Amino acid sequence: MVSPEARRLRSTTYKLFATAFVGLAAGLLVPESLWAVQGGDALSRIDDVRTFFGLNPRNTVWFVAQLHLLFAAFVLGVPIFAVIVEFIGWRTGDERYDRLAHEFTKLLSAAFATTAALGGLLAFTLFGLYPRFANYFVGIFAPSMYVYAIFFFLETAALYLYYSSWERLRARKGLHICLGVLLNVVGTSLVFIGNAWTSFMMTPVRVADDGEFLGTTLEAVMNPLWMPLNIHRLLGNIVFGGFVVGAYAAVKFLSSTTPERRAHYDWMGYVGNFIGLAAMIPIPFAGYYLGREIYSASPVMGNNMMGGAFSWTFIMQALLVGLLYIIGNYYLWSGMNRIPGSERYQKYIKYFNVILIVCVAIWLTPRNLPLSGSEQLALGGQVHPILGYFGLMAAKNAVVNFIILATFASFLLYRRANKTDLVPISQQGRGAKAVVVGAGLACLLILGWYAVELFTLAPESMDLAPEKAVWFKLPAVLLVVTMTTVVVCVGLALRDRGHVAQALYCGVVATASVGVLGVYGFFVMAAANPFLRQIAVAQWLILITALILVTAIDVVLFRGAGSRGAIRWGHVTARSQYALISLCVIIVLTMGLMGFIRSGLRENWHIYGVMRDTSAWAFTPSNAEMAWMVGMITLVFLAAVTFLFWMVGLTGKEFAPAAATGEPVP
Amino acid sequence: MNALKPPLFTVILVGLFIWSGEVVARVSGGSVGPLGEGVTVENGEQLFWGPGKCSTCHAVGPLGSSVRGPNLGGADGRIEIALRAAERADERSADLGKEMRPTEYLVESIADPGAYVVEGFKNEMPKVYEPPISLVPDQVASVILYLQSIGGAPDPSLITLPPEIREAARRGTGVVAWEPYLDGDSLRGRDLFFDPEGSAACAKCHTVGDQGGSVGPELTSVAGTRTARFIVTSIVQPSQEIASGYETYLLQTTDGRLLDGVLSGETEDSLWLTTADGEVMALAQSEVARRLEQEVSLMPGNLSDVLTVTELHDLLAFLRTLR
Repeated sequence: MVSPEARRLRSTTYKLFATAFVGLAAGLLVPESLWAVQGGDALSRIDDVRTFFGLNPRNTVWFVAQLHLLFAAFVLGVPIFAVIVEFIGWRTGDERYDRLAHEFTKLLSAAFATTAALGGLLAFTLFGLYPRFANYFVGIFAPSMYVYAIFFFLETAALYLYYSSWERLRARKGLHICLGVLLNVVGTSLVFIGNAWTSFMMTPVRVADDGEFLGTTLEAVMNPLWMPLNIHRLLGNIVFGGFVVGAYAAVKFLSSTTPERRAHYDWMGYVGNFIGLAAMIPIPFAGYYLGREIYSASPVMGNNMMGGAFSWTFIMQALLVGLLYIIGNYYLWSGMNRIPGSERYQKYIKYFNVILIVCVAIWLTPRNLPLSGSEQLALGGQVHPILGYFGLMAAKNAVVNFIILATFASFLLYRRANKTDLVPISQQGRGAKAVVVGAGLACLLILGWYAVELFTLAPESMDLAPEKAVWFKLPAVLLVVTMTTVVVCVGLALRDRGHVAQALYCGVVATASVGVLGVYGFFVMAAANPFLRQIAVAQWLILITALILVTAIDVVLFRGAGSRGAIRWGHVTARSQYALISLCVIIVLTMGLMGFIRSGLRENWHIYGVMRDTSAWAFTPSNAEMAWMVGMITLVFLAAVTFLFWMVGLTGKEFAPAAATGEPVP
Repeated sequence: MNALKPPLFTVILVGLFIWSGEVVARVSGGSVGPLGEGVTVENGEQLFWGPGKCSTCHAVGPLGSSVRGPNLGGADGRIEIALRAAERADERSADLGKEMRPTEYLVESIADPGAYVVEGFKNEMPKVYEPPISLVPDQVASVILYLQSIGGAPDPSLITLPPEIREAARRGTGVVAWEPYLDGDSLRGRDLFFDPEGSAACAKCHTVGDQGGSVGPELTSVAGTRTARFIVTSIVQPSQEIASGYETYLLQTTDGRLLDGVLSGETEDSLWLTTADGEVMALAQSEVARRLEQEVSLMPGNLSDVLTVTELHDLLAFLRTLR
């Protein structure tokens, strides 16, 4: 008689190995079959493009690729989420985290098989519909494809080990978490290899004028966009994982009939949102880095992105990302109702709300509108005399910083909602003081490094006249001012004025990063345009130091503090749960839209500037067509994930939560 | 019914997204129709605001909002580009020491954007006739005609495009790399390369790694810098492009001897000549009565007759492994 647990384990094993087989087939067999038609005269018969049973091949590849990427994001994002959650559970001793991590890892095996199947389908469609491109591409990347297949096996093994050893290694949690880290390292390696292929299509290197690739596969992998894309996608996957978990919890919460279940899924939704929002904070930085590298690699592509065919798509992207921040914050505020003592801070929420809405509105303000002659006359030009300024990069850099700062402040409020009777830092041990001082030193290093960079920056390096160096002074001086503030705030915190230190530092950062440098950016755009990039970096570095220092002070400030009462998990509105569902839908839409932009930036090139797409489908689709396509992909993906969740739920025993109590994650 | 609410809510959200895409597409509109034939101001305008990507950096007066490149219109105390071109042409004439006409300035600013960079802007304008923009000559001329029309009278007869623009169009763009007709066997190619008695015996003159002679260029990483087509051309037509430093010289000595080879070193008093056999001859400068650079490479020009098609591809396959 085989136990249900053993049956489940065996079923999982079969699924995982079947998945690996499909992956291997896609990775190895297809390139081989492709090589088989290369001999002799067959080469001249390789078509440029074929249709998919009469259907548009571009849309076919688009659909399959995006669906595959979404599933890939799920199977890569969820393990990161799971390990973080498991680690928190291990360190805090809270069993719920461990159960949550286990519950989601269980979902991975089914999702893993689907991802692999879609990966195989993507390979088949590429080789089948764009054989000439695929032929050329394999010639460059074949070695990395074999490595990819090997990593696929490793990923399968790591996932199997991680999931199956959960109970056996319960007493050796550290080792089990190491297995989870291993799973993530392998998974991240996989996605990095895939990113190399995608990024090479945008920024090919070592290609001769006649299209021949002269470099090595490694050189192709390490193309200029590889690392920026890696970072952006990695963070995006974590956000995605968090919000998918949040939506799962929300759906479960809405269908729960007992207080215990509602409490459990309320808590789960909170954790998902926390991790999703936390990972969203650095994403604008990663996006800026990626955009900057795109521009550096090809100003034509960069300009097309922000000021050309895709500028309006970016407005839509700003709308979606802005909504993620607003809804994420709304969920936090809504959740404060379940925390005794939060009424002390609720009065501040309206201000945050105004800040977020105004900032998002500015973020998505286009620079100009296509206007008729009479409309232009009425407006006094193509650009609105006031609102037109909001369409410039200087304004957008400033408001993105402010949105992040406001979100961060929301977190701070949430964290302290039920806290009381603080233990003065001066009465805490040396460890607490070391945390504050260490954070201060880290901030000084970051700010100091960039201040030196700006003080020594040569205008000639940006094709600016020597006298333009005067424009570099103000941001450099502001960095020094912020460094001074760091020292003051560390001193204040150590003298038990932690609240003052936090308020002072946030105020200085908002003034310097958003206010002064935000406005200064407009003047720089007019007088020394290339320097705007350095302004943006200075703004964001100042902001990062706020996240580091204020968080460090916060952790120490509330260590060992008393509580006004336990959090009443489950006591939230249904609206807040729909907020969680919205976050999941919007992140999927955002990923689809970003995928369109990244791929569309190549316009009518398979490989930018090297291999042209000469087919009838090489045009850039309109935003309407993009929205339809991304919308449909989103619905199919969410339906498929829901089906997987349901299917996995059939095989496992129903979760029976104990009454959930305790503190939220820090 | 409750179970249907979340999916219904999801569909509504996605519907709103699609609706926003429709609205944005209607607002941003501006889908560019097919270009007309020939060199016209209308085509130039369409190209400027569309496939030419000019508007992603340049505004024209109140039209457009790009600030990365100079505004080409006449607002805010500026004069229009056609008039500005006349001023710049005078400036360029003084710099170059030869007369430049306004239209020539416009042509230069597109053909060679780095030749004159307007103060306050970076030298980052791409050559629009090269990938990825790849405008063809008539399109470039249309854009110039459009620029002439901004504050001036367009006149196509004044536009003369430099040869590099036509050459770029002739080369074509986005080609798939030239590939040899046969895959070749790199191991057999290696034998051909190093076998001193073989039909190729390349190693007599060329070094790969630590093996081979030094009459010709070292080939240890030749495939990392040269295309397959170049390598094939170098084998079958070695004189078409002789590597720098490996030109052949014919020397006549004072005692009447005629020597040919590659100059492998030279000082004020002496020179060293490497002959086709790999022999290095040291000569005093005073011994050399006359020297003449040859247009023919020292490398045998009959390899296309000596090697079979299969051998040529084997040799190529080996050389392509050298990165």
